[in-house]
Amino acid sequence: MPFDQLDLKRAIAGDERAMQRLWSQHAPHIDAVVRRLCGDPELAADVSQEVWMQIFRALPSYRGDSQFGTWAHRIAVNRTLNALRKIRRLAKLETDIEDDSALTEQDTDRTFLAESIDKAMARLSPGARAVFVLHDIEGFTHGEIGEELGITPGGSKSQLFKARARLRKLLAHLVDESIPVGKGKAHVAPV
Amino acid sequence: MSHLSEDQLDQIIAGERAREQAPLNEWRTIAARAREEGLIRESQSRTSVSRQPWIQAAAAMLLLVGGIAIGRTTIAIPSSAQAIAGRGTREAGSVGVSGGSTTNGITSFASVDDASATLERAASDYQRASAFLAANSSGPTTVDSSGIYRTRLAALDKVNNAMESALRTAPHDPVINQYYLATMGARVATQQMAARPVGLALRGF
Repeated sequence: MPFDQLDLKRAIAGDERAMQRLWSQHAPHIDAVVRRLCGDPELAADVSQEVWMQIFRALPSYRGDSQFGTWAHRIAVNRTLNALRKIRRLAKLETDIEDDSALTEQDTDRTFLAESIDKAMARLSPGARAVFVLHDIEGFTHGEIGEELGITPGGSKSQLFKARARLRKLLAHLVDESIPVGKGKAHVAPV
Repeated sequence: MSHLSEDQLDQIIAGERAREQAPLNEWRTIAARAREEGLIRESQSRTSVSRQPWIQAAAAMLLLVGGIAIGRTTIAIPSSAQAIAGRGTREAGSVGVSGGSTTNGITSFASVDDASATLERAASDYQRASAFLAANSSGPTTVDSSGIYRTRLAALDKVNNAMESALRTAPHDPVINQYYLATMGARVATQQMAARPVGLALRGF
């Protein structure tokens, strides 16, 4: 059931059922971005609670200028990055990704593609992961990422290049598992 | 050391972007936090309870009975009005006949829907009758009667406060909900009477 304006008014008024409908509809996407940015499921669960509290607190300020999901998504990204900053996981945002020790480690659980991706992303540095998730998955531009993370667009591009290079190595084992790859597929994320 | 190609990585990313994932928390966890912060208002839950059909039906009946009782005990009702009040009560009771069957003056109902519809009509008739009488009754009313209405309103306010307090403790308790709604109904009826200008009397209904 789509979340409509009446539900929005009820949620602002504190109607639990309306709030639950909102959460049910948007939690899969909102929580996904939180999970990807955090890289740690337990941390992500905690941060997600904060994100949803912030969304509910901010509901009266939602003017309908954008899709509700887009508006909530922005809150999720901001809140998650703030949480990560607080625990100093972005302290070395601009540092190079030099730790290649993972390249020699065997991933013991290759059963699911999704798990492999989660694990690979978790091995990126927090800054590189944030840039990769925001750009390649969430569709942010480098300019927007620069504003969110307090870095230059060039720094964002550099982080993305390094993140993708490392992911190509970390996910190399998937080559042998016949991942279907489209021919001539262009890079889909924004520049 | 093998590598994925850029295309292969993009393919994986596209899949990841579309991948459905379960929420990180259960709603009850989120709701508990929201409730702690006052973002979920219990009054909303209370409202939702009172929207249940059986609660509405019970409230309508209590409103009707409570209103009639208030009317009959209202001061300055002339004795001749007792008969009118009795007739009014019978008329109110007969409102629902079209939704049920009447045998020896006792109405029975074929279904919950029938009974609910009858109650809704009865409550609606009662409210219209109260409004009509408040607007059209003539006869002496004293300043003293206004004082009694005010006293009754103050007492009902206290009861109402107690009911609200009880509802915060047990928002889903049907009995407390019924009493709360009945108190509210009685309060509205008293307000209507108190609002009549001095000099007008409620003869009965």
